[in-house]
Amino acid sequence: MILAPVEYCRPDTVDEAVEALNSSPDARALAGGQSLINVLKMRAAAVDLLVDISRLEELKGIVRHDDGTLEIGAGVTYAELAESDLLGGDPRAIAEVAADTVDPQVRHRGTIGGNVCHADPINNFPPLMVALGATMHVVGPDGAARDIPAEEFFTGFFTTAVEDGELLKSITVPALADGTAVGYVDLEIGEAAARAVAVVRTEDDQIAEAKLVIGCLPVPTRRPEVEAALVGTAVTEAAVAEATAAAADGVEPLSDADATAEYRKAVIPVVAKRAVLAAAKGGHRG
Amino acid sequence: MDRSDTFDIEFTLNGEAVAATVPARRLLIHFLRDDLDLTGPKIGCDTGHCGACTVLYNGRTIKSCMMLAVQADGATIETVEALAADGEMTPVQQAFHEHHALQCGYCTSGMVMSATYLLEKNPSPSPEEIREGLRGNLCRCTGYVNIVEAVAAAAGKETSA
Repeated sequence: MILAPVEYCRPDTVDEAVEALNSSPDARALAGGQSLINVLKMRAAAVDLLVDISRLEELKGIVRHDDGTLEIGAGVTYAELAESDLLGGDPRAIAEVAADTVDPQVRHRGTIGGNVCHADPINNFPPLMVALGATMHVVGPDGAARDIPAEEFFTGFFTTAVEDGELLKSITVPALADGTAVGYVDLEIGEAAARAVAVVRTEDDQIAEAKLVIGCLPVPTRRPEVEAALVGTAVTEAAVAEATAAAADGVEPLSDADATAEYRKAVIPVVAKRAVLAAAKGGHRG
Repeated sequence: MDRSDTFDIEFTLNGEAVAATVPARRLLIHFLRDDLDLTGPKIGCDTGHCGACTVLYNGRTIKSCMMLAVQADGATIETVEALAADGEMTPVQQAFHEHHALQCGYCTSGMVMSATYLLEKNPSPSPEEIREGLRGNLCRCTGYVNIVEAVAAAAGKETSA
């Protein structure tokens, strides 16, 4: 497919990139391009300027701060996440999810920033970022900077809190508390039919604290009632199944080529249960 | 910072320096095939799923239908034409030949690029690792068994996968 005529620029700094993004209302940041190029092929978005941020060193860092917080540049590719020594430990879910993203070619180009900013309901990082309590660092014109909790970052179907003229610069992920692990489970029918991420702290074979996020929905969705029901639950399949039975209550999944909304509602409690059990047993995939 | 709909680019292609002028909207695959007559990389799905257009970009496999030609500026690109450049097949190509790892052949150049990259990273992959390494390449003749056997053979290992 041939793209519509478009202009292109390759800024040398994040400041220059933000300036270019503000030079036209239809400018778009081009990172790995693994989603955006298809959007352009389908002419599903009007874009008059592509701002190539794929070589910006400022977006490429992975840093472990002294307090254990991990800071990941928006331009870090899935392959770089998967291969990073800094992600070998806690929370290793990030590296493992990155290593399992689509295929080697996509992992060599696609970035974590593009994944969360594209905010396709089937993308794998949005629910993980919400579950891990990540913070998104967004920069704008004239040195403006905003920190947005992941839980407030995803605002709708393919929509995030990043405004026109802003750019996601990095993501920080807090260290997990002792005794805490991540469970990440998806049901791979087509791209993905259902996905759940659980972050669970156990004490004496009981769940002491739990966070549960359902993916493959228009926005990644926390389930506070289920989280509350899980506290004090024994780490057995029966007990966790009972506590997660309501995981799909009130959610409105999409129907698409991979699965109907009805089917998704039926399997959400299943992936939720598996994610919680995987987390409670030390993580991460069930 | 130049902003334009046309760019002069310079890059290394299959070991040789190339300079060209490309429209910003030109996909790398169209540039390679239509402008440079390198028809080894194929256009299969044109949506980044099938991997028939796989080439090496700075030593790593990428799908050339999912990148702009202007992004090749300053990079090193290798297509399947870089293999057997002296007329001698590489071990991966030889193994594909011997194990009948192609039927219609449309996916083959992409498969060979991914297999070559895989063996560079992991010289003795398990059958599972071979399948994972080829996850981004679809064969619509569904001849995967022979392809996996060929890659294992190229790695100096036989398999009953």
